[in-house]
Amino acid sequence: MTNIVAESVSEGQNQAHALRTAAGFRRRRYLAVLLGWLFFLAVWWILSAVLGSEARLPSPPRVVQEIRTIFEGDFWTQFWASVIRVLAGFFAAVVIGTPVGFLMGRSKYWGNFLQAPVVVAGAIPGLTYAVMAFVVFGISFWGPVLAVGLIAMPYVAINVAEGVRGVDRRLIDMSTAYGRTESQVFRHVVVPSVLPFIFAGVRLSFSLAWKVGTLTEVFGSSKGIGFQIRRNYQLFNMPAVIAWVLLFVAFMLLLERFVLVRIERRLFRWRQWERNQ
Amino acid sequence: MARVDIQRLSKIFPPPQKGGDPVTAIGDISLEVDGNVFVSIVGPSGCGKSTLLNILSGVENPTGGTVSVTEGARPAHLGYVFQDARLLPWRTVMQNMLYVRDDDGDEKAARYLEMVGLSHTHDMFPGQLSGGMQQRVGIARAFSVEPDLLLMDEPFSHLDAITARSLRDHLQELWTATRKTVLFVTHDVVEAVQLSDRIIVLAPGGRIFDDIAIDLPHPRRAADPKVATQQAEILGRFEEMHPTSAPA
Amino acid sequence: MTSAPVTLQESPPSPGPIRQWLISPIGAQLTAIVVFVGLWQLLTLIAERVPGPAEVANFLYVEITGGSHGGIVTGEFWEHFAITLRRFSAGLFIGFTAGLLIGVVIGSYGMARALLNDTVLVLLTMPAFVWAFLTTMWFGISWRAPVLTVAFVAFPFVAINVAQGVRAITPDLRNMSAAFEVSRWKQFRHLILPAVAGYIFAGLRFAIIVGWNAILLSEWFSGQAGVGFRTRYWFDANRYRGFVGWVIVFIFFIVVLDRVVLNRLQTRAFRWRDPIEVEVELAQQEQVGV
Repeated sequence: MTNIVAESVSEGQNQAHALRTAAGFRRRRYLAVLLGWLFFLAVWWILSAVLGSEARLPSPPRVVQEIRTIFEGDFWTQFWASVIRVLAGFFAAVVIGTPVGFLMGRSKYWGNFLQAPVVVAGAIPGLTYAVMAFVVFGISFWGPVLAVGLIAMPYVAINVAEGVRGVDRRLIDMSTAYGRTESQVFRHVVVPSVLPFIFAGVRLSFSLAWKVGTLTEVFGSSKGIGFQIRRNYQLFNMPAVIAWVLLFVAFMLLLERFVLVRIERRLFRWRQWERNQ
Repeated sequence: MARVDIQRLSKIFPPPQKGGDPVTAIGDISLEVDGNVFVSIVGPSGCGKSTLLNILSGVENPTGGTVSVTEGARPAHLGYVFQDARLLPWRTVMQNMLYVRDDDGDEKAARYLEMVGLSHTHDMFPGQLSGGMQQRVGIARAFSVEPDLLLMDEPFSHLDAITARSLRDHLQELWTATRKTVLFVTHDVVEAVQLSDRIIVLAPGGRIFDDIAIDLPHPRRAADPKVATQQAEILGRFEEMHPTSAPA
Repeated sequence: MTSAPVTLQESPPSPGPIRQWLISPIGAQLTAIVVFVGLWQLLTLIAERVPGPAEVANFLYVEITGGSHGGIVTGEFWEHFAITLRRFSAGLFIGFTAGLLIGVVIGSYGMARALLNDTVLVLLTMPAFVWAFLTTMWFGISWRAPVLTVAFVAFPFVAINVAQGVRAITPDLRNMSAAFEVSRWKQFRHLILPAVAGYIFAGLRFAIIVGWNAILLSEWFSGQAGVGFRTRYWFDANRYRGFVGWVIVFIFFIVVLDRVVLNRLQTRAFRWRDPIEVEVELAQQEQVGV
């Protein structure tokens, strides 16, 4: 559609060859990923054998056994507990961070004023948030929510500020020339311009938020993945600790790669052709 | 059929740096445009052409003089075509056409898209279109709101010569079919002669230098000898007014 | 559109000097600090357990100058700080060296990348507190736990950045060097080293930031000395002014180190690159956070 290229016979041949290599390339990539995971497993297995005891480094089969136990138990309750807290925290971060970012982006003064607190908020170690949340809320649902919200908020705010500063002036002029109202401009020009930045803020702070959320659960929760890790740590149950950690890691990687990326693609469908400009 | 009445317009910008001089974009312009005519505004960079359009469209305010753009007793509705198409990249072509309307004129939008040959692009995003196609959408968009006055700011200057030629033909088709009042800014004298009934020449500092009438029937083909003659004559006058250092 | 005759407007009177200073970036930032401290003070009136700015400042003064906190003997501030710094440096050294090596390997050989990349990714995703737990389970309450926590946490950040740097050396430049028959040594000095230096530095900077947070965690859970330990000490004693005070010390150090020292050095190392591009890339790295 965009590139109207005259197709000759040789062009068709080139395309066929390219397709063949593309499929081959994908196959090779899957193979590489598989190899990587096998390597990881192999090293782990060997290390656990070398180090001997289960208390040092449990072997993969031992951990798998533990994972099975966890699944037979109340994995999903714990899992959902963690997920809900983090999502709630993210929601709060977006709800608060977006208007703050707007303010920072639109006004030079507020941009400077809020810059310092926002940056410092980003520099505060997760532990501090976790402990503060615990001090303030005790053992509750709200502790992790607060911690996640506080830690993700600066990322969202800074990104939104960037987005607001970067709104294409020319589109606003065009809207003025055609007599569009302020609310129309906001809805059709500003919001779609800033949305990718909000999303970027969420993506950037995603892993961070998860880690801090889980850490807060270590302190101040009676449910959730963090709580489970702490409990097993106190029981000195190494296989269980490793099992829960692996589940945590797997979940994060899967969420990142499959959910976030998919959402991004759908929201920003219009961008895939931007490169043609 | 709009009426544009500009009296002693001036626009002075504050100095860009501290302690510098204010910038006079427009010194003194008085101008009347009446009727369904195609008027070009021609001049080198810095002569205030774009500022003039900005003031007419309400994006800027004058610092002196009066401007009145009316249709009969009421203020005129405007259409605007920019150098770059200025389409919302996150909306489809049809959504872009509808954005500038206050009603759901789907059929009108579709009709104008068809007139520029883009009926098949309704659900495509601007990123999927070439520069020339995007500009065609921009032109269709401007015409589709059926404005009283159409402002065009060097709409073809960012396109390659071949695409520009084709778009000029589209523009003439649209214009002869609808006969709007058009104010067309360009730096290209040859283009101005091909398209307009009247050429207003601005000098640097924003003053009117000359006001030339072109009396040829529409639509005009670029290859038409009569058009070519007029172009040569006017170019000649330009040479006299602004002699270049290169030999003729 | 019609407009009434407009006469040339005078620009509005410029704000007085005080107001101008207040609006300036520095003025705004200082105002922010003042407002923040004010809000903090307000917070203490609402929440009982939250220590106020004055209390914390007082605590810090006593703690640092080595007085006594009404009966509780102060920790030896500088000793603890030094202990943490030593452990931090050791752990950083281990993590950085390992990261450098693995990063170069991953960046240079596609096969290595296929094998190792996912492992590094897993390590990157692991939260610091998990390393704190694991190292404590392995080494008990000792200096080894914090050192290794820092090492484990820092390693993947360095590895990923270095790998990226090595891969960024485009084949074009290598081909050009080969075409001009540039000596291997010259290639290393002028092509490879400068190109990778920036990334190595970025990796180091991330390693420092995450490593510093990690040691706080580790000393908290398994410490018998050091900044993290002292922080926990006061927390356990329910003397929150002590907790907040030590946290401030902790944050202050890293903010100063990062903004004043590392930021400048990084700009120098990356001098030749497009600053916006660098920011974007680094932001992508920060993606996995602490």
